[in-house]
Amino acid sequence: MKKVTRLGALVAATGLIAASVLGTSAKAADSVELKMVAADYANMQPYWDDLSAKFTKANPTIKVKVDVVSWETIDDKVKTLVATGQTPDVVNKGDYAAAAAEGLLYRADEMVSKATLDDIVPTFLNNSKYNNIAYAVPDLASARALFYNKDILTKAGVKKLPTTWTELEAVLKQIKAKVPGVYPYALPLGPEEAQAEFSIWAGGNGGVMFKGGKWVLNSKENVQTMTFLKKLTDQKLTQPNPAKCDRTACAQTLFASGKAAFINGSVFLPGWLKDNGGAAINLGSGSFVAAPGKKPVTLGVQDYFTAYKANGHKAEIAKWMDFIFEPTNYAAFLKAAGGFIPATKSAGAAAAKDPALAPFIKLLPSAIFYPGDQAAFPAVKGAIQQQIGTALVNPQKTMDAIQAKALAAAK
Amino acid sequence: MAQRSANKSRLGALPWIAPALVMILVFVVWPAFEMLRTSFQEVGSTGAVKGWAGWQNFATLIKNPDLPNVLIRTFIWVIGVVFFTIIISLPVAQLLNAKYPGRKVVRWAVIIPWAASLVMTSTVWKWILDAYYGVLNEIAMDFHLLKEPIDWLANTKQSFVWLMVVAVFVSIPFTSFVILAGLSTVPHDIMEASKVDGASPWQNYRDIIFPLLRPSLFVAAVINLINVFNSFPIIWVITMGGPGYETDTTTTLAYKISFRDQDVGQSASMAAINFAIILVFIALFVKASKNQEQS
Repeated sequence: MKKVTRLGALVAATGLIAASVLGTSAKAADSVELKMVAADYANMQPYWDDLSAKFTKANPTIKVKVDVVSWETIDDKVKTLVATGQTPDVVNKGDYAAAAAEGLLYRADEMVSKATLDDIVPTFLNNSKYNNIAYAVPDLASARALFYNKDILTKAGVKKLPTTWTELEAVLKQIKAKVPGVYPYALPLGPEEAQAEFSIWAGGNGGVMFKGGKWVLNSKENVQTMTFLKKLTDQKLTQPNPAKCDRTACAQTLFASGKAAFINGSVFLPGWLKDNGGAAINLGSGSFVAAPGKKPVTLGVQDYFTAYKANGHKAEIAKWMDFIFEPTNYAAFLKAAGGFIPATKSAGAAAAKDPALAPFIKLLPSAIFYPGDQAAFPAVKGAIQQQIGTALVNPQKTMDAIQAKALAAAK
Repeated sequence: MAQRSANKSRLGALPWIAPALVMILVFVVWPAFEMLRTSFQEVGSTGAVKGWAGWQNFATLIKNPDLPNVLIRTFIWVIGVVFFTIIISLPVAQLLNAKYPGRKVVRWAVIIPWAASLVMTSTVWKWILDAYYGVLNEIAMDFHLLKEPIDWLANTKQSFVWLMVVAVFVSIPFTSFVILAGLSTVPHDIMEASKVDGASPWQNYRDIIFPLLRPSLFVAAVINLINVFNSFPIIWVITMGGPGYETDTTTTLAYKISFRDQDVGQSASMAAINFAIILVFIALFVKASKNQEQS
């Protein structure tokens, strides 16, 4: 009797475990579930849930499960999924080249129909290539400008908007002298988005990350740029400790509370301010400052849809992607994301009439972009986010360290 | 016959320990095995495995220019946090052991930081120490101790000290309760005898209580050593190991190598070394606790 009980307990325990393992993997025959991981531009989950429901209504055999993940964690999440054999079908985030280089992705012309592909703005599609083949479909883009608080500039008696580094430095000094309690420039070199702050400043001095087939992070132009930013910080013309100042929680928040006069802002900054307590800021914008004698630039940043081969859902993915790019669905996508530049010609034509977007769309042809077509770019971005703040102590040493990381990653 | 029944009773225990065994296999042994396997693999920056790498990952890690400083800092972190935790927990345990009205409330108050999630506690501390909105600056300025706000986490040495303060703060509850358990085993008759013999309270503590506390101090020290060494959330939430690598320990460095430098293989080799260090701690613990049992 006793023996039977023991055996029974063993069987029961094993059975329970087996049931809990197997139970989750049961699914209906013939239907496919696409797994998508998408970055959270604003509040994207309701948009994706709604779109996925509509899609399944039109295509009853395909379900789409969309996981919306914050920008801070999406790269880690996707990498973990790939590394642990749970590769998603579609991903919407900021890079593609490393996955393309490793042969994990469908080509852009496999992801969407020809009609959809032809509607993508050529500049953006060009930035989606690896070895001259597009492996990603751009979803939207942004551009940067120099935003300022008009009230602070009036108080400080600033008449003319600075266009060069020298003019900016003079204006910042004037603000520091005349408007106490305000940081003249909000400089976010904390990990969140340091690569953007670095790129637009360096771009104004002719500095880039990648040139002529080589990583050039410790170029003369880049070191000069960081030396200039160090000079601004040392004179207390920025908020203290840029190395630990993140874009959203620190720089944009200071600007929203009226404590910063100038900031490098993206096209979506006005919308962000409205939602985050900065609605009262009297906002102005102009093109970003450049080094004396150099051409001003804007930084274009675009994001991507990529499709992974791992689960073999090519046909289903193509249906879903074309559904996203149907004009009304895509317009709703842009609306949910909030104030970005569209990636399609058709939506772009409408956006060009939007007074908030038009100036940025005009700037785009002269924009510099990240070297997103390089497989090593994610590692370089990581190195910049991690270390660029320490360049305010020793510019040359930090840029050399980042260059070393880039070369190691590119091997 | 005796042998047979002993065997039988061992196997008979299986159904009752099976769930625990399965948990250990699934949540401890298997991930550890995967980690070790990954440390010998070449993993692409997307997370896809490209093949075997031999000792290459370990070689890259040893050449990592940030590693020496991080190792030294990890040593300071572990020794410093465990030392101060125990020094502070000793009097706290006395306080919890003394009899006075409201002792229950005090005991609960000490438990709370332990019960709260580390991420939550760290986030609260991050905001307490914030330069612009932090309550610490606010209080210090209201009491005229400060003229203008200080960014407590700006200087890397200073922010590392604050990280240690938070780590000590969250380690005190567990440690003081382990010591409290030790205190409750001190026999009353010995205490009374020493009182009758005219020992001063300090002599009493130094010569009777403290020696009897040694087993529980030892348990507290080793478990804290392991906990503090592995501590990720405090550092990650408050400074993310930054700026640069200047407040990293080996645990946060392993994460950064994987998700910033995009080198999963090298990161796994860092994790494997961390794992080896922990195994040494555990071996010491097992050996020493056996010695104590014998003596």
